[in-house]
Amino acid sequence: MRSKAFRPDVDAPEWKGGHSPYDIIKEGTIALVVVSILTVLLSVAFGSPDDPSITIKAWSTNAPMDFATTALSELNATSGSAQYGAPYNHASTGQQLGPLTLAKWIGVRVPVNSVNDYIIDPLRSLPKQPALTADLSQWSSASGSTRAGWVKDYSQAANQMQIVNGQLVVNATNAGPLPVMMADLFQMARTGALDQALVTQNGFYTSDYTLPLLFLADGTYLSGIAQKQHLTGDQWGMMNETGNYPGQAWLWLYTFWYQIKPFNASGNGDVLVWGLMMVLSAGLLLTPFIPGLRSIPRKTRVYRLIWREHYRSLP
Amino acid sequence: MSSFGLLAAIWPLTTLGHYVSWHVIQISVANLIVIILMVVTFIVALFAPFPGRRRRKENP
Repeated sequence: MRSKAFRPDVDAPEWKGGHSPYDIIKEGTIALVVVSILTVLLSVAFGSPDDPSITIKAWSTNAPMDFATTALSELNATSGSAQYGAPYNHASTGQQLGPLTLAKWIGVRVPVNSVNDYIIDPLRSLPKQPALTADLSQWSSASGSTRAGWVKDYSQAANQMQIVNGQLVVNATNAGPLPVMMADLFQMARTGALDQALVTQNGFYTSDYTLPLLFLADGTYLSGIAQKQHLTGDQWGMMNETGNYPGQAWLWLYTFWYQIKPFNASGNGDVLVWGLMMVLSAGLLLTPFIPGLRSIPRKTRVYRLIWREHYRSLP
Repeated sequence: MSSFGLLAAIWPLTTLGHYVSWHVIQISVANLIVIILMVVTFIVALFAPFPGRRRRKENP
């Protein structure tokens, strides 16, 4: 029988020497104990990141004009989330990889209607507001074209938007109930009621922060704070943490692509980076089957450094 | 001192982070320290003798 040629990257020669006992349980236990002690000591010494959460109440108080203009962009559906496409709406194709419209294929899985979810439904949750209830009824009973006319008039008048004594003032004469509704929404935001309304309208449990997060992300207040903390995508933010704490350093390659062209200049940057990382991850997973790549450990001979005692005894 | 004061960290790292920039690369000092420590640990692991080596030599 003809014997097969020895393939150094794939085949292992049969070991004919002696064996040494090795206690992996003992090593694992020691590692666990050392890491646990280090974790406790480092926590006592340095604490952990615990920045206060950014709320719509804080946003509308600290940056009232930004809140008001963002609320307007939700009303006339020009905000980033209203124009995003899947998974929130059908406004655009969404993220696509070349001809593959991946986001569209997955579909609208988290439907967000910017007018209803950010303005009408929260206002409906306010109790004992007869004037507002009448305005909301007027809005509900109006035709689509009438509403569009109101929104158009309000949007034009909003160029002269002002905050007077803590009240949102827009002098729109043909905007139907919108000036009052938007002023009430502004007050609702400043009291903190809007924060609560946006997390409770999806059910009893208040763990779904999709709506307030999208709303905050549509404005510039959140991104301004993120920029200051080096947390935005173009600042390698994916691997950073608030304050002086170390972050997710292992995401260096993923976030690296966001810093260079074509990824940082493409509207489909997220899916392009994801696609590239999937290809690279597959390469890593299939290393044993890729000629050349699988030879790197053998050719760099690092193993001979680790097991130098053994190799010293060999001829 | 409140009971929460007793729970506070000795040197909290909550102040604004420090960053190092070089061309397109931006890295926080904290991340840089962690990466340097990982590289040092790797090098030490390469060169440090295996535990029990002396015992094996004494009892071949």
